[in-house]
Amino acid sequence: MKRCRLVDWPLNRRSILVSLLTLPLLTFNAIAAANQESTVGDGVVVEELRTTQRNLPTASELLSRLSSAVQTQNYQVSFVQSRAGSETIPYLWRHAVLADGSHMEQLNLQNGPGRELIRVGNTVSVFEPDVPPYSIHSAHINGPIPTELLNNPLALKDSYEFVVVGRARVSGRPAQQLRIVSRDNSRFNYHLWLDEETGMLLKLNMFDLQGMLLEQIQVTHLTMLTDPHDYFSRVNQALLPKPMVVSSNQAKGHNWFVTQLPQGMKETRREVRRLAVTGQVVEYLMLSDGLVDVSIYIQNASDAIGSDVVLRHDLNTFLTLTDGNYQVTIVGEIPLKTANIMAASLSRVSHQP
Amino acid sequence: MTHQHENLSAFMDGEMSDSGIIDAVKNDEAMQEKWRRYHLIRSGLRKEASVAPALDLTAQIAAQIEQEPTVMAPKRTWADLPVIGNVIPFAKQTGQFAVAASVAAAVILGYQQMNYSPTEPFMTAPTTGSIGGLAPVSLEQSRTIPRDDMAALMKKHRQVNALLEDHQQQIKLKQSDIEEQTDSKEKTPEQR
Repeated sequence: MKRCRLVDWPLNRRSILVSLLTLPLLTFNAIAAANQESTVGDGVVVEELRTTQRNLPTASELLSRLSSAVQTQNYQVSFVQSRAGSETIPYLWRHAVLADGSHMEQLNLQNGPGRELIRVGNTVSVFEPDVPPYSIHSAHINGPIPTELLNNPLALKDSYEFVVVGRARVSGRPAQQLRIVSRDNSRFNYHLWLDEETGMLLKLNMFDLQGMLLEQIQVTHLTMLTDPHDYFSRVNQALLPKPMVVSSNQAKGHNWFVTQLPQGMKETRREVRRLAVTGQVVEYLMLSDGLVDVSIYIQNASDAIGSDVVLRHDLNTFLTLTDGNYQVTIVGEIPLKTANIMAASLSRVSHQP
Repeated sequence: MTHQHENLSAFMDGEMSDSGIIDAVKNDEAMQEKWRRYHLIRSGLRKEASVAPALDLTAQIAAQIEQEPTVMAPKRTWADLPVIGNVIPFAKQTGQFAVAASVAAAVILGYQQMNYSPTEPFMTAPTTGSIGGLAPVSLEQSRTIPRDDMAALMKKHRQVNALLEDHQQQIKLKQSDIEEQTDSKEKTPEQR
């Protein structure tokens, strides 16, 4: 009997062990399944809570609000533009929708002799200290704040990604912060703060790829007006200069193409021109991604700048490369690395199909 | 507790106007600490930290000193020996002078460095690296260059400026051209 029991005992133990081992496994599976369900459930609930309670706006919503506020509201904005190593420049910016539905806009440089730009509908008149006043056809005033960002920000989505960062306080007002990052990391980055109440721009920072602040636009005063500002009624539209005719039909084309363009950058102009200062003939290309414009000049190496030059002028990168026959110059607010890739990838198509 | 932290976070984002949280923060030191740290983290994440995170060590140091046993009877030191005892105060004094002098020197050095600013008109990019054989342009060079090269340099400057100026001009005029193109293409100028 005793022996029997002794033999039996281990068997029993084994079976107990097996059951002990399997039980937890089974229960674990069950618990895991239950957990999974519950976490999924929680996730949905949390998600709903976030969207209903916190009501985080998407980047597109914020940007559409910005452009509609800029284009349809009456406002007066004071802002300053500062760049590393130079003085802060103050501006006054007004916009009005008049009783007859027409739009008027003013941008005034507040320091020194100043610079005044007045837009009536699609005509922008420019008053500068040392140039006789002139007008050009343009739907927007081309100021320190990129016009594409203000008026058609969703078009920038080809080149840049917009990320909502969250709330912040700017100019004493609650604001929503956005990050603007180029999709292929080939251009400078921006941080943008938009007023929560009105949707207007409050601050815009421009950073280089190392995160150094290059330029800042900071709104110091923002007033939304119910009626157009008195200023606009004082503008005598009949006395504004007649718009210049910028003739582009005589411009000749050329066959230079940049084969490695940063994502979203498009050619906006192509012509052969003479430089105003030196009278040299250049083949010219302008590229733009909406936020930055890049000029490319191609000259014969014979009348070009002697050696290759790289320098930084304000925010512009200036780069020249020579291959012996031609000299390529790139000017624009882009990182040197990108300018170099673009310059190196320039090639001439001899016969266009 | 976690509920309270969540409330704190929501309050910081301005998503809660419940005034109860203010009292909770006021009366709870741990919450105050959290409040301070949350702000620090946020400004750090957004790269808008204008002040270095000031770690408040004073409380800890004070506590440490509190715990330190007080030495009632000083140990015998070199100063208790007859001759050396007279020398050490002198050495100490000169030591203090030396320290003071070195601090002054450091201040002057620091001041000079703080006030140093590059006089170059342009920031020149590094000439080494992926783009080989590029010469930086700056007015500083003109000092070492002999007279006949001056003309070439001036010409170079003029050409660089011509291109820079042209670029600015093109940007000023770009919108007028774009407008013209769209107008002519679509024949539907924006109605007022």
